[in-house]
Amino acid sequence: MDEVKVMDEQQRNESLNRHVELDTTQFIVAQLGGEQYGIDIKYISNIIRMSRITRVPKVSDYIVGVINVRGVVIPTISLRLKMGLPEDEITKKTRIIILTLEQHESIGVLVDEVKEVVTLDEEHIERVGYEKDDKERFLSGVGKTEGRLISLLDITSVLADVMES
Amino acid sequence: MDTSQYLDIFLDESKEHLQNLSDQIMDLEQNPENMDTVNEIFRAAHSLKGMAGTMGYKRMQTLTHDMENVFSEVRNGTFKVQPGMIDILFRSLDALEEYVDNIQQTTDEGTNDNQDLIDALNSILKNNGEIKPVEKTQGAAKQADTAQQAAGEGADGKQAKWGEIKISDTEKMLVEKAYNEGLKAYGITVYVEEACVLKAARAFLVFKALEKLGEVIVSNPTAQDIEDEKFDLTFSLIFISGNTVDEVRAAVKSVSEIEEVFCDTYELKADAAAGHQEAEHEKAEESAPEQPKPAAAAAPTATPAPAPASAPAAASRPAASKPAGKPVVNRTVRVDIEKLDNLMNLVSELIIAKNSLIAATAAEGKGDNGNAVNEQIEYLESVTTNLHESVMKVRMVPIESVVAKFPRMIRDLSKKLGKKMELYMTGEDTELDRTVVDEIGDPLMHMLRNSADHGLEPNDVRVANGKPEVGSIFLDAYQDGNNVVIEVRDDGAGINVEAVRQKAIERGTVTPEQAETMTDKEIIDLLFLPSFSTAKKVSDVSGRGVGLDVVKSKIESLSGEVEVKNKFGEGSSWIIRLPLTLAIIQALMVVVGDEKYAIALGSIQTIEDVSPEEIKLVQAKEVIHIRGTVIPIIRLNNVLDIPARNEEGQNLTVIIVKKGDKLAGLVVDELIGQQEVVIKSMGKYIKVPKMISGATILGDGEVALILDTNALI
Repeated sequence: MDEVKVMDEQQRNESLNRHVELDTTQFIVAQLGGEQYGIDIKYISNIIRMSRITRVPKVSDYIVGVINVRGVVIPTISLRLKMGLPEDEITKKTRIIILTLEQHESIGVLVDEVKEVVTLDEEHIERVGYEKDDKERFLSGVGKTEGRLISLLDITSVLADVMES
Repeated sequence: MDTSQYLDIFLDESKEHLQNLSDQIMDLEQNPENMDTVNEIFRAAHSLKGMAGTMGYKRMQTLTHDMENVFSEVRNGTFKVQPGMIDILFRSLDALEEYVDNIQQTTDEGTNDNQDLIDALNSILKNNGEIKPVEKTQGAAKQADTAQQAAGEGADGKQAKWGEIKISDTEKMLVEKAYNEGLKAYGITVYVEEACVLKAARAFLVFKALEKLGEVIVSNPTAQDIEDEKFDLTFSLIFISGNTVDEVRAAVKSVSEIEEVFCDTYELKADAAAGHQEAEHEKAEESAPEQPKPAAAAAPTATPAPAPASAPAAASRPAASKPAGKPVVNRTVRVDIEKLDNLMNLVSELIIAKNSLIAATAAEGKGDNGNAVNEQIEYLESVTTNLHESVMKVRMVPIESVVAKFPRMIRDLSKKLGKKMELYMTGEDTELDRTVVDEIGDPLMHMLRNSADHGLEPNDVRVANGKPEVGSIFLDAYQDGNNVVIEVRDDGAGINVEAVRQKAIERGTVTPEQAETMTDKEIIDLLFLPSFSTAKKVSDVSGRGVGLDVVKSKIESLSGEVEVKNKFGEGSSWIIRLPLTLAIIQALMVVVGDEKYAIALGSIQTIEDVSPEEIKLVQAKEVIHIRGTVIPIIRLNNVLDIPARNEEGQNLTVIIVKKGDKLAGLVVDELIGQQEVVIKSMGKYIKVPKMISGATILGDGEVALILDTNALI
């Protein structure tokens, strides 16, 4: 399995330290349909290529199944279905982003493509309040970089929603 | 001095002492005159005090000190044990437990002085004990203790106490032999400085110094107790050596923090009588390791067997006849559970790697050296299986640690509910995985409370019904194949199925029509639904409608099940069945559609090849007739939402599985074979249906789900 380790702890700390006074956040930019979404890098433990997914019966449709990441069984969700977009088309560019919010609890997120890492400082992030029932309630804001707009995902609320359903 | 590194040991030992105290005080309530019990309590309280003091937990120390004072007086015969006293003692124990809990969570004992308890304890002393040493300083009290142990001799002096050591025939022979060989036997009494923090370590150094010169044949207290720091400031021993008195004394003196050493030649005569006395009334525990255990002493981390209260007693019998010089008590090491988990994970990884290897060689086909490889793989397989079993065994602990607190709980319940009842326990030594044991306490407690509160009738009703006045509750644990069964039984009224039926209708849980057709068993199962309690009045003990559903979900989370056997008017019994191991199982791999599933081998009865004609319809449900039994058929592809393979007219592969006394046939498309699978959790982000009990990783890295056949039937 080809794995792209994003950054190890040390590197991450170093890069964080470099930007510490600027109050910046790094995001991994993922393509989902026609839009680009940013995921805060501090939650990401790994990005892997599409691997064999084992379907789990009788669960919500956006849970695509479970995968094996180095001996750990990790549930995987389709971010497309969660965001109300059409079903995933698996291509060579499809990636699974492994998010780890707390120790020993990881979840995989299926995305069309992983683009790059961007560093945004707070002044380039527009915080938007979304309505509770809006399907965009999983967003924490919009980031502007090089003339592009990136929707910033509020991963904690996505996962809280996954846990509830 | 930094004592944090001793915190774990302190906590473990405190808990042991508290449990011991609890047991002994229960015992004392039954037999207030039993001096052995009083002595034991005194000793435990004393050790606890010493440990708390060393660790700097002053409040805990003060409370134990006052408890100890009371027992000191009981021991001296100043006054006798009274029922009121027992209650205060139990409350003190609860307070001590609270301290220990606080320490475990925050390393601080908390700020509760428990002054009321201290006052209560002191008033016991004042009212009954006349001018007794309530106000003595701790040091003075300690000295008094030492004096008492010196069998009534003057209270002020340090003295040689090795004369008090009782020696057995074996040791007597050793001493005689030594004299015959021209060696000398010495009696040595060592006093450790009062300020010494690590008495056991000093004692260990003394033993080590002596072992260079000769052989320690017996000590008082025993080597094990010394090692566990279960002694005051002094210990005595008998020592065989070719060196002179002065050399021996110098060797002991060379250890720092040793205050005084008494050393003289040891004469045999004086203790012949003592030996007899010992046979008559000495407690087993004291006589137990009456032989040298240099090896045990040499391992400071070694601790007594998990159940120190009973282990030495059990070990003492064979000890007396064995030649001296071998450790008697099982030598154990305390290990952090996390390290074991880690080890277990590594074993799991190894098994997965082994499975991959098997898969890989099978895929390669049979090459020239296929046989040699296969042989080695088989060897590897047997090693990993054994390794897994060994690790499992290491993780097994007796359920004693959780059930030991129940007699006390029943006693309290009995008082609170005003019902007379008695708890009988068997099989406390039954072993379960540590993680299961940790979790099983609460459900068991719930069920015992249920039995005490709802199960047992009030005493007058019992008598009117011709039952013994005192109600009985039984807790039996035993191993049954790959399961451990824990049964909570009472001889009370049993479950009134009709009352439950009415209640269920009243609550709208079921319609009256449904209720009509439900069997008794189905009605009883309603009790496990959330918020379903039939207790007429809500009591402090149980009946708030939370309980049985929690019990059930807890047990199920441990992959166990609960079953109820009920005889109205005669009592009910609640049977918990738990798997011995949680992590690795033998499973049959099957294919349904194009997906692979694992089915635990333990639940599989047989595998049948069934032609489609053999399947009959009974009440619109498919069944098959096998050897005189009608077995319902479950088509797994339907249950698992897998499109059926188009194989009309072909024979079906049916796996007959068992749950309790029920059978069912699972239709699968293909069988792969038997395999050891490592059960992996699927994480909390996914709510798997009940029929999936977990996932496992196959040899080729693919994830397969494990079917829980119990949930399918």
